[in-house]
Amino acid sequence: MSADRPTAEPLLETRSLSLRAAGRLLVDGLNWRVRPGERWCVIGRNAAGKSTLLRALAGLAVPERQGEVRWLGRRQADWPAADAAWARAYAPQQAVDRFPLSVQRLLDLSTVRPGAQRASAVLADLDAQWLAQRGVMQLSGGERQRIALAQCALQGAPLMLMDEPVSFQDPGHQIQVARWLARLVAPGTEAALVVTAHDVNWIVRTATHVLALWGDGCWRAGPVDQMIDAAVLQQVYGCAWRDVGGVWVAD
Amino acid sequence: MGLTGTRLTALALALLALLGLAVAAGLAFGSAGFDVDLILALRAPRVAAAIGVGALLALAGLAMQVLLRNPLADPYVLGTSGGASVGGLLALMLGASLWLGAGLGALAAGAALLAMTRSALASTDDASPRLVLTGAMLASLCGAIATLLLAVTPDQQLRGAIFWLVGDLSGAQGGLGCGLAAAGFAALLMWQGTAIDRLQLGSEVAALLGEPVRRLRLLLLVSASLAAGLAVASAGAIGFVGLVVPQALRLLGVQRIRDLAWMSAVGGAALLTLADLVARTVVSPLELPVGAVMALIGAPLFIVILARGTR
Repeated sequence: MSADRPTAEPLLETRSLSLRAAGRLLVDGLNWRVRPGERWCVIGRNAAGKSTLLRALAGLAVPERQGEVRWLGRRQADWPAADAAWARAYAPQQAVDRFPLSVQRLLDLSTVRPGAQRASAVLADLDAQWLAQRGVMQLSGGERQRIALAQCALQGAPLMLMDEPVSFQDPGHQIQVARWLARLVAPGTEAALVVTAHDVNWIVRTATHVLALWGDGCWRAGPVDQMIDAAVLQQVYGCAWRDVGGVWVAD
Repeated sequence: MGLTGTRLTALALALLALLGLAVAAGLAFGSAGFDVDLILALRAPRVAAAIGVGALLALAGLAMQVLLRNPLADPYVLGTSGGASVGGLLALMLGASLWLGAGLGALAAGAALLAMTRSALASTDDASPRLVLTGAMLASLCGAIATLLLAVTPDQQLRGAIFWLVGDLSGAQGGLGCGLAAAGFAALLMWQGTAIDRLQLGSEVAALLGEPVRRLRLLLLVSASLAAGLAVASAGAIGFVGLVVPQALRLLGVQRIRDLAWMSAVGGAALLTLADLVARTVVSPLELPVGAVMALIGAPLFIVILARGTR
């Protein structure tokens, strides 16, 4: 856990961040810090505002926002677009391809800071090494999703935001992605990660910290072992939870 | 997936050879046989116009496809060339310069489009339905006005007006101007190659990668509209070449804008030169409208490439 580097400057910080969509308050006054080496997972029910929050953190357009987001201590709005690409990378829930393009070319185009990582190594970590010469429009949903994660990592930015990185992955690939993320953002590295996910057991395996959105503006953040317990899960998802030999089961 | 190295070079050489062949045939053949004076006086300007207009249209199509992120976009989809058609028809009726009328019409339609879609162009929101819909409405408005103008065009001018509307290279001028404009347009696209390649991934993706999305989209819209307007002013609204040439190159595996730009220009020039040669020789001394001939040659060719490419 990141408690070993409490003084590290946060890669991401929000100050009184409030988000609304369709007249609903999603996030109210979020004060939150993400430091290097931390892997955060944002949890919440459908439409609680997880994706909207990630978009706001990435600097993308959201319906209505107030407050501040800072990358590396500097206000989001003060980053020139070209420099911001060095600070944060974002993988959307689903990539939309319109033109034929090889995976290799897509990864080349997605690299902003060359040399940070090798594309072939990242593809191998994601069990996608044989996809490099395939066309992006010929990939399955799960394959395309892993390529999107590779794009995000290869951009070379220390702050990585991934919206539902394993929603299309089979159980084997979910574990593979979890292990890869843990290596990518290990304690002591310069990088930090914020993902959204629904599978509680995958979250326990992957995240070091959890930010829970209640869906009415309220939120709570903390280390994963404090956040993932029956009471919090019940409050977030509205159903009872049991820990069955280390596996969380919803009732 | 993707042409690289020797195969890309082979395709490039084949395109250049095709263009050379088209130009040689365009100069050598015609209703009056081989005559140096005739070639210099009549055929050379016509072939030059076909080269320039074909290149401009293919480049405008490529730029529109990227701007709208739609492989089915063509140079006319946003209606600026419709403005050129209306302006040109008005000029024909009033006996004014076709060039002036079409040029002013294209500029007016382009300015109207920019004024109406400023916010849509600026946003990084993808798919830009507002830009497409506004452009489509502008195009149908111009189409309606053009039809009304045709209805009141005197009979002796009607045939010329209709030929010009569907695309006609007889008496076309400005080949050199179009050619230079096409070279400049291709150079512009190649210079911004990587940025435009990223824009093709989506406006948001490009913005996240640090590209100046708004400026790029404005650049594409203005340059494609100017190119389409210039082409229409020179030879009328020739269809097909702008949609098909960049699309065919993509299906053949060309991926980078840097390659797509100059290859589209060469391919468009070759296709239009060949189509014009057919149009004026098949039933000579009569001439067919080159736009129709182009679709007659191009549509089956495109279907073949489509069948190969998506195999």
